[in-house]
Amino acid sequence: MSRIDPVTGAVIQGALESIALEMGHKLMRMSYSSIIRESEDFGAALTDATGLQMCECRMSTPLQSGPIPGYIRNVLKVLAERDDPVRPGDVIMHNDPYGGASHGPDVAFCVPVFQGETLIGWSATTAHHLDIGALSPGSCGIVDAVDTYAEGLQFKAIKVFDQGKRNDAVWHILRANIRATDLVVGDMEAQIEAARIGAARLLGLVDRYGLDSTMAAFHDLMDYSERLMRDAIRALPDGDYTASTMLDGYLDDPNPARRELPLVVTLKVKGDDLTVDLTGTAPQVPDKPINMPLVGTVDCSVWLTIRSILLDTVTYGAIPQNSGLTRPITIEAPKGTLVNPIFPAPVIARFCPGNQLADTVMKAFAQIVPEQVSAGIGNLRVVALSGLRDGDHWVHMEIMEGSYGGRKGLDGMDAVDTLYANTRNNPIEDIESHIPIRVDRYELRENAMAAGQWRGGIGAIREFTFLDEAGFSLEGEGHAFKPWGFDGGADGYEAELTLVHTDGTTTSLPSKVPYFKVKAGEKLVSIGPSGGGYGDPQQRPADALAADIADGLLTEETSKVIFG
Amino acid sequence: MKAIGIDVGGTFTDLIYVDRQTGAQGIHKVSTTPDDPSQGVITGLTELMAQGAIDPGDIAQIFHGTTTATNAVLEARGARAGMITNEGFRDVLHIGRHQRPDHYSIMQEIPWQNRPLIKRRYRKTVPGRLVPPTGEELEPLDEAAIRQAARELKADGVEAVAICFLFSYLNPIHENRAKAIVTEEMPEAFVTTSSDISPQFREFERFTTAALATFVGPKVGTYVKNLEAALADQKISGDLRIMASNGGVVTPRMVTQNPALTMMSGLAAGVLGGAWVGQRCGRDKVITFDIGGTSADIGIAVDGVCAETDARSTSIAGFPLLMPMLDIHTIGAGGGSIAYVDQGGAFKVGPQSAGADPGPAAYGRGGAKPTVTDANLVLGRLEPGDFLGGEMGLDLDAAQAVINDLATELNMDPLEAAEGVLTILNANMANAIRSRTVQRGIDPRAFSLVAMGGAGPLQGAEVAAMLEVPEVIVPPHPGITSALGLLIADLKYDVIHTQFQVSTSADLTQFNSEFAEMEAKLTSRLTEDGLNADDVRFERAGDLRYLGQGYELRVPFDLGEVTDAALAQVWQRFHDSHAAEYGHAFENSAIEVVNLRMTAVGSSPDLDLPAQNGGKGLQAAHVRTRQSVFRVDGTLQSFETQVYRRDLLPLGVPVPGPAILLQKDSTTVVPPNATATPHETGSVIISLEAKS
Repeated sequence: MSRIDPVTGAVIQGALESIALEMGHKLMRMSYSSIIRESEDFGAALTDATGLQMCECRMSTPLQSGPIPGYIRNVLKVLAERDDPVRPGDVIMHNDPYGGASHGPDVAFCVPVFQGETLIGWSATTAHHLDIGALSPGSCGIVDAVDTYAEGLQFKAIKVFDQGKRNDAVWHILRANIRATDLVVGDMEAQIEAARIGAARLLGLVDRYGLDSTMAAFHDLMDYSERLMRDAIRALPDGDYTASTMLDGYLDDPNPARRELPLVVTLKVKGDDLTVDLTGTAPQVPDKPINMPLVGTVDCSVWLTIRSILLDTVTYGAIPQNSGLTRPITIEAPKGTLVNPIFPAPVIARFCPGNQLADTVMKAFAQIVPEQVSAGIGNLRVVALSGLRDGDHWVHMEIMEGSYGGRKGLDGMDAVDTLYANTRNNPIEDIESHIPIRVDRYELRENAMAAGQWRGGIGAIREFTFLDEAGFSLEGEGHAFKPWGFDGGADGYEAELTLVHTDGTTTSLPSKVPYFKVKAGEKLVSIGPSGGGYGDPQQRPADALAADIADGLLTEETSKVIFG
Repeated sequence: MKAIGIDVGGTFTDLIYVDRQTGAQGIHKVSTTPDDPSQGVITGLTELMAQGAIDPGDIAQIFHGTTTATNAVLEARGARAGMITNEGFRDVLHIGRHQRPDHYSIMQEIPWQNRPLIKRRYRKTVPGRLVPPTGEELEPLDEAAIRQAARELKADGVEAVAICFLFSYLNPIHENRAKAIVTEEMPEAFVTTSSDISPQFREFERFTTAALATFVGPKVGTYVKNLEAALADQKISGDLRIMASNGGVVTPRMVTQNPALTMMSGLAAGVLGGAWVGQRCGRDKVITFDIGGTSADIGIAVDGVCAETDARSTSIAGFPLLMPMLDIHTIGAGGGSIAYVDQGGAFKVGPQSAGADPGPAAYGRGGAKPTVTDANLVLGRLEPGDFLGGEMGLDLDAAQAVINDLATELNMDPLEAAEGVLTILNANMANAIRSRTVQRGIDPRAFSLVAMGGAGPLQGAEVAAMLEVPEVIVPPHPGITSALGLLIADLKYDVIHTQFQVSTSADLTQFNSEFAEMEAKLTSRLTEDGLNADDVRFERAGDLRYLGQGYELRVPFDLGEVTDAALAQVWQRFHDSHAAEYGHAFENSAIEVVNLRMTAVGSSPDLDLPAQNGGKGLQAAHVRTRQSVFRVDGTLQSFETQVYRRDLLPLGVPVPGPAILLQKDSTTVVPPNATATPHETGSVIISLEAKS
């Protein structure tokens, strides 16, 4: 039953969304590094005093806002253990991947909201930082970290402002330990300002409508989201549905326990409850950072995929993302596996495994709601590029897109971020104006589409030439396994990465490459994966086939071979 | 000097005529003719001239707002367009920023993939490459390949070609050469370049803007030609000026060359009109608030000037558009917005709208869903027998029935439900206004709200109250404010150069030579258009950001030589503007200039309309007394409400609320605790009782 009249509820909901939007807008516009401002790899959300999510910024990336409740809960826990109360004027930094954070580079700044002496909520921003003081430059492609200590600095509920007073010692430590210091510290300051704005606005809202009404509206809102999710689950036939996919792991590793690792998902539907059981997934890799924090990565991956399938925005509109949405879902992840690692197993490169988990969840749903899924997605890859210029580091991250599989009635989306990721690429004109890199190509692959009644999306080719000596590292997935075709559709195409040396010889790279030096004139050729096909290729309409041929995406010959 | 403003909207074409010497004026409205809007324009013009006994030869200026380009994009009906771009970059338009429009959707479509402006088969690539920081040539342009591409496009029946090369904003040499070759091969085609259309960095956005211009180019060209011919037929030889998205007018020639200029012009004139109405009442700070059937447009104007939005906030039909545009915020909330209970049981209003047909249930055309108009009628804020000056009756029973259904679904009292519809709508609008004011360091309490459009004067006072805006100005004719805005639009030509410069190493010579070059460019463009450069004033600005940031803020540059002292002022303006916009300035950070801008402004003559006489007394204006419902101090109450004919109200005599003012193009609601006073300019000013 509603706690508050529907009109006031609607008014407060609108105000909450407007606050989250303002936080994200300001963070994105104030921030310095392209990973935040161009790729939009940041989050902004408000929670109640206990960490239940009230609203999130719809501009931010799902994997950043989603974990915020976990950050807040752990900040509260750590401070309670230390007997250090939260006070007005505090700003708390946190990035502990075994304490709610998605991984170390995603640092949260949390501002408590007080009405008088009472803690009434939190305003928090998260963002992916360019560098966090790990063993090699950049905060991605740290694929050789042996434990969490090697991944960079760990912040466990650190008060960077204590009752309004700046804790200078912390900032000195940050400056001394982080590369590309000015950019990273500038981004952190932008995060704090944006979180403070959110806190001021939440207080304003509470002052306008009263704490009781605001919280009543929020709890109604959680019930509302929960109700939508429960209705959607109830419409599914009860039963267990299992699917599995494979991670590349470390393809060049002699130890088989570190390559070709299964992810297994069993959806257990019972009434309006859904259990997602990950039993069967490979054991953790104790000294390689592709393990996924259960809170912050695994949970978000599962929730966001379920939401995208069962409560698709095209059908449901923009429903509020809050903690109510996840109440009907239970996740079971055996301890000591990739999806529930034990400290201090490293986790910093969990991004692509997490998205592969999302794809596995979708594959299980394909058995229940085939008209609401895509065939297998092409996963992403992230590279860190770095170098020295006048003694200072430049660090740049590129998130390389994947593509979607075909869908019932629609071809797959070409060359986009997939499932739990939705960042933006960097404009070529921005890259070349600011770092010693030339982009030589950015185009769709040709003759690499998965056949199907609705074809898979097509991956992109991106080529970079290094204009100066530089460093390079990579974390990715999808070099060893093809995205799955569905219902008679063909499997998709793997991703590839090749280093072209100045003498024209080439080296083919696996999907995880720790930091190494490249020379001026060397070139990277990245070929993105193409998603799986959906339905019988022979059923593809002739005009759709002809259009792809006319558009040069497919030759007549290839078309005959793959579509029959 | 006689001038006519003609604003072509989706349903109606509005016309306004003013004699700038005598102050004589007239207004007229005809149906829009979507297949060839120039026909509706000519019909309206001939009728307006007949009505006012105007000699076509006396008309010195025609100011025109057109939606030809906008509609071609929204309806995805444009030219068969082609593109020539760098080798290796055939799919910049298709991949975009590799981001999906929706986070949480498997079944979504992507505008640039599902409805491409230029199909891949018509995107040709050629060797040739320029590189930063100066745009020097790394690889020469392959002219033979361009000629070959043009021949292939021509053979495929392509009518319009966009030439888009990387870094052309730094150096247009390759684009210009390619354009010359393509024009030789395809003399009939519309041919343009990305540097002509919008020389700014970020290739997807610039190429898409050029593609949009190309997509609509032939259609806009034909429209302008038809209109000019029809005006000539009518012996109207005055200057034709067309409204652009930047709030200025330009020549037909300019629009034909760069049709993307008009893409968002429909909204610009309304803000100008609203700002002018406010200024006439002596108010220099206004929020213009234009509510139609499906949407509300919000603009902020200070001293008659509405700021331009930053380049990265503008889009049309999901496509990014890098064009100077007034900062106008549109939300899907209007008189026809539908109220409903969604799948999860939440009470929502809009953005779906009943439109004009079937329209609200109250229109009696079969509309079966409760709308904002139905709620207003049920609450007694609209007169069933006196809507649109009595031209249209409203069906109270039908409105009551749909509101009752809604109330049942919500388990609420029907009047509470009806008032809830308005409260939710008004709160959505107030949030939108807050995002343009409070969130950017602007205090709305220092502003007046100009309520325009058919539904603006109905909601204006309650929205103002939510924002603690002290007063609402209702223009003389709220429904034709856009046509009025056209008459006061200045001539405005923009030029922009991307120029990266950092505050710690600023190159004064470079600044001065860039501005000199831009001024020369503007002067020659004006001359080509048959305008006199002596009649314009120049304005300068820059798009600045802290070094490393990705979003810029517009900051004015002074005219004259750029010196260290002048730059110091510019840097300080940027810090101030950053603090106002985002709540914080990073005073120790270096500042980067990204773009320099220059605008030539040719002022329109002042529009000086004579003061109104007003009616004899309240009694004479009184129509009837009725019951209407308002929420006061938290409770819903029915009030005895006076209904007046607005045109008969005496000037300067306060009308206490609750009251309803009737006129042909709108209805004004004056809530309890508010007072409406007719002003000598013909506007009505509603003062709201200050909240204690």
